[in-house]
Amino acid sequence: MIEVKDVKKKFGRKHVLKGVSFTANKGEITCVIGINGVGKTTILNTIMNLTPLNSGQILIDGEKINKHSYEKITFIPDAITMLPSMTIREAMQFMDDFYDSWNQERATELLGFFKLKETEKINNLSKGNRAKINLLLGLALDVDYLLMDEPFSGIDMFSREQIADVFTSHLVEDRGVIITTHEISDIEHLIDKSVLLDNGVVLKEFNTEDMRETEGKSIVDVMREVYQQ
Amino acid sequence: MNRFVKLVNFELSRFMKIYLVLVAMTVVVQVTGVIVKANKYMSKANTAIYEEMLSRTEFIERYGQMGFMDVTRSLWFMGPIAICTAALIFYVFMIWYRDWFGKNTFIYRLLMLPTARLNVYLSKLLSIFLMVLGLVSVQLIILPLENSVLKWLVPTDFRSDMTVSQIINGNPLSMLVPQTFTEFVLYYGAGFMALTIVFTAILFERSFKWKGIIAGIGYVAISVVIFILPVLSMFIVGRAYLYPLEILGLETAMGIIVTVMSIWVGNYLLNKKITV
Repeated sequence: MIEVKDVKKKFGRKHVLKGVSFTANKGEITCVIGINGVGKTTILNTIMNLTPLNSGQILIDGEKINKHSYEKITFIPDAITMLPSMTIREAMQFMDDFYDSWNQERATELLGFFKLKETEKINNLSKGNRAKINLLLGLALDVDYLLMDEPFSGIDMFSREQIADVFTSHLVEDRGVIITTHEISDIEHLIDKSVLLDNGVVLKEFNTEDMRETEGKSIVDVMREVYQQ
Repeated sequence: MNRFVKLVNFELSRFMKIYLVLVAMTVVVQVTGVIVKANKYMSKANTAIYEEMLSRTEFIERYGQMGFMDVTRSLWFMGPIAICTAALIFYVFMIWYRDWFGKNTFIYRLLMLPTARLNVYLSKLLSIFLMVLGLVSVQLIILPLENSVLKWLVPTDFRSDMTVSQIINGNPLSMLVPQTFTEFVLYYGAGFMALTIVFTAILFERSFKWKGIIAGIGYVAISVVIFILPVLSMFIVGRAYLYPLEILGLETAMGIIVTVMSIWVGNYLLNKKITV
């Protein structure tokens, strides 16, 4: 379980996170929803220790992040984090070199699924294909937790569908996923848990299935309620 | 292979293309310089001897013999060294900033590697250091070659021969290629220390942005003051109460302290304060 406890973060005088708390379980897809600029990316960055906290605590399976954690949790930012001059094969080799959890079999499977050639240079890929490789580099790690920052933003419809398919496949099953988005239509049916964020605070955290069953509301219904009151 | 060695290998390969261009440029320009200088001298000799009817001895008396020093003092020789030095100094900064800037922010990947972040710092440090040593080695290897080219182009009577060690001793190269092991450790140790100070200053800037620039400059200033404290104290007191050897010992100790401090602070910033 990933536990985010009362996390506060400011950039200069601007308070981006004003005491954010939520949890994300293994085997569930947790979606952090909010408009642009409410601190969604910052939350993921703080979980990965890519930016320091001002206060609060983040635990991954009960322990603070350390160098071994990166074999257990990975982050797929909104832009690919490989050198543009590398070919896909070189990028995969890099991952294989540094991560014990790298699963080449799965990487090859994904490459086939996305219909991409490993001789292609990252620099020459279209935006959609670059996003797919970015996803591949994260998904091919045998990690327990996956964080994804806006995996659907600025990508064509067909690529979006392909990526959404990945979520329902065995590639994501059993893992804990935290995904951020400002646009949930593509993935609403996949989400187990929603965390509605605004102005650096969590407005509501709920299990989507329970919400549907007990109150008969979809995520969009709840969003309307929460954001438009 | 452990991850540190892989990181060093990775950092070196990232700069390899430009590095090889620098090496090639140095060889080509310096050798061309030898040829140009030798030809110029010989054509002057030819004009003097065949047109102005000077004897060989008269020419040499008037214009002197040609030595390798005539080459090393020229832009042909020092130019490439200056360019390589500038390129490496530039790269000391680029080796960090290139990971933040540009289309793909590679720093995310580096910071998420399942290895101590100190390894990222140390691999960049060692890469720069190896590149410096590499360029110096190339210079040492091509010196005898250039010396032979000169001997081949200028007849014995017209030239005063020098050995490679004489060449190294007689010009700014003597800084790059120290004569004793102690000097080597001192010069390159000081260079290494300077690198760690600059790296840590860069990490201050990366961690705190505008305030970090001030912190970085402050850090450099404090480091320099600590390092020169033994010498500085003599100026303050106004008399030399230490033997040169004692000062050397103190300076070495201060250098080690500053280096360790820089690496420690750099490691702290990378782990606790850095922002992608």
